[in-house]
Amino acid sequence: MAEALNQKDNFLKGIIKENPVFVMLLGMCPTLGVTSSAFNGLGMGVATLFVLLMSNIVVSLIKSQVPSKVRIPAFIIIIASFVTIVEMVLEAFIPFLYEQLGIFIPLIVVNCLILGRAEAFASKNNVMSSILDALGMGLGFVIALTALGAAREILGSGSIFDIKFVAENANTFILFILPPGAFIALAYLTVFFNKISTKEAK
Amino acid sequence: MAKKKDTFINMVVSLFVITIVAGLSLGFVNELTVGPIQKGKIERKINALKLVLPEFDNNPVEDVKMIKSDLAKDSVEMYVAKKGENNVGTAVIGSSEKGFSGLIKIMVGFKSDGSINNIQVLEQKETPGLGTKMKDDKFIEQFRGKNPSEFNLKPTKDLGEVDALTGATITTRAFGEATQMAYDIFMKEGSTTKTKKD
Amino acid sequence: MSAQSIIISASPHVHSDRTSKKLMYDVVIALIPAFLVSLYVFGIGAFIVTAAAVISCLLFEYLIQKFLLKSEVTIGDGSALITGLLLAFNLPSGIPIWMIVVGSLFAIGVGKLSFGGLGFNIFNPALIGRVFLLISFPIQMTTWPTAVENQTALADAVTGATPLGIIKEGLTFGGTMTDLASKIPSTLDMLLGVTGGSIGEMSAIALLIGGVYLLVRKVITWHIPVTMLVTMAVMTGIFWLVDSEHYANPLIHILSGGALLGAFFMATDLVTSPMTKKGMIIFAIGIGVITVVIRLFGAYPEGVSFAIIIMNAFVPLINTYFKPRRFGSKIKSKIV
Repeated sequence: MAEALNQKDNFLKGIIKENPVFVMLLGMCPTLGVTSSAFNGLGMGVATLFVLLMSNIVVSLIKSQVPSKVRIPAFIIIIASFVTIVEMVLEAFIPFLYEQLGIFIPLIVVNCLILGRAEAFASKNNVMSSILDALGMGLGFVIALTALGAAREILGSGSIFDIKFVAENANTFILFILPPGAFIALAYLTVFFNKISTKEAK
Repeated sequence: MAKKKDTFINMVVSLFVITIVAGLSLGFVNELTVGPIQKGKIERKINALKLVLPEFDNNPVEDVKMIKSDLAKDSVEMYVAKKGENNVGTAVIGSSEKGFSGLIKIMVGFKSDGSINNIQVLEQKETPGLGTKMKDDKFIEQFRGKNPSEFNLKPTKDLGEVDALTGATITTRAFGEATQMAYDIFMKEGSTTKTKKD
Repeated sequence: MSAQSIIISASPHVHSDRTSKKLMYDVVIALIPAFLVSLYVFGIGAFIVTAAAVISCLLFEYLIQKFLLKSEVTIGDGSALITGLLLAFNLPSGIPIWMIVVGSLFAIGVGKLSFGGLGFNIFNPALIGRVFLLISFPIQMTTWPTAVENQTALADAVTGATPLGIIKEGLTFGGTMTDLASKIPSTLDMLLGVTGGSIGEMSAIALLIGGVYLLVRKVITWHIPVTMLVTMAVMTGIFWLVDSEHYANPLIHILSGGALLGAFFMATDLVTSPMTKKGMIIFAIGIGVITVVIRLFGAYPEGVSFAIIIMNAFVPLINTYFKPRRFGSKIKSKIV
């Protein structure tokens, strides 16, 4: 019973208490770079979730076989392989998303969230816990990126998931789909998120 | 399970195994995706061509001509569309570096008489909401059916005939320039393709 | 936080009755001449824009402090009033009211209160609001109504470009200054204020009067405005001397496009400028250089507000390197 509860916490921590974006501020490069629309944020989040899940599983499986001096290069090779797989699959089957995300797909390799979880969690825990950790963290990342993308899209383009709810020529806050808008929106979402999560904790 | 010791041989072996497995799986995925990627690229090109050219029944992508021109840095792609044996139109990729944020790449489809059939924007980095409006039908409409030999492609502000996008004169100017470049290449090279039968 | 805590200075703090409130109202008085000129030039439109900006700035400051932050309400200290005034002075008179309201919300909410309120803001709030509007609504923000004939009518019919806008546009596609000479307003017009532009940048003379008033009242020192203007004059002067056909002369640059407004009223903001004289001079040189670079080589015809915001970001660094001398410490040679 206690074990099950721990697993539940293990899964949930990534979504709220240790949310990778809003609490740990990890993986800022894709967070700021691709979230100009909710769909892009979601796509990037899911791609990262997949890489994180796969790398966590593999790292957890081989953790005892890899000498600790070469563990980082080994992790990077594993992560890079999955990223390349994601890139090829996206280009082949979802070319639209591939074009939108562009350079940020290969950059998933250096997303410190993934290496961070491999090093800090998967290399020390069993496969089951690592899967839950990856799912929790990954979902936290997906939620954060989608929320940020949605906020920027609503303010900047007057639409959500490409469904426009303002007139074609309406004045929207273009600033929010430009890079500075990413920083401003992220800051306020972080404030908002932390306000809610601390309230919940009380 | 005990952690493997940091011996030289252990390190070499584990990294070797990991890279082998990674390489094999990448090769496998590549095998699966290389086809769809190629197909998708050609499809998108044909789709763009279908939009800018009159109806055709050949495969212009196979008949692509790479043209070296002093108007552009790289060689310019030119696609000839045919219906039966007749040339029905030519699509030329025009580009301009003078967009608000650099490169603008467009595909201009010309009918055989040299008038513009349609234009598609291929690449751009303009300001969202201002310069990006050059993709809108409303803007491109004014180019359709116009022959650049008698239609000045400059914005009205520069004494041309193109109605500029509100707040994006620079984009309009670059767009006109890219179209002009496509036209110049078409006039220079297009005439030779017309006579050539293959 | 009490309203009186904004003046950052080295100890000892000599007490006087000059509170930040009084300083703020001196700034308001100094802005009056420029406001009168804009009323004359743009008519009732200028009044509406200014009133909308001031009211919404005060209102947002009140609402955010009262209900969101639940802190002491400080709208009486005059700083929100000045933010509103300066924001309005940086807007064209034909801008829709709701945009002014959004700009005020951004200026007060994001530019000021997010950082902790007056005294903690890194950037000049009015400029944050202005730049936000400029980037978000470039069309409305660069549609400049020209002077109106009838001062009570809302100006919306005729629009014209600012002198700098005309020059930028002209030079970009191959014109020369000689060609453009007839299109840009004469130096006298720019001095008096009969040009296109935002509400507060109209009349160089009115702005100078306000600036001199601030200097006399010792609200500001000469270091920032003079250094900034001299830097701009020298830089544009060099380009002008080298190629007077493709670069406007320094006088045009200084008299137009909010250079004076920025130099006297916005760069000198006590909260967002360096503490020491040396720091101020470096700060002002930075603003001058960045402004000229944006004007001559950037995509925008005007760069004062961007330049001030960029240099605002350097103020903490400047303050680190040019610390105020501690009272009573020996004056080592050169360190002041």
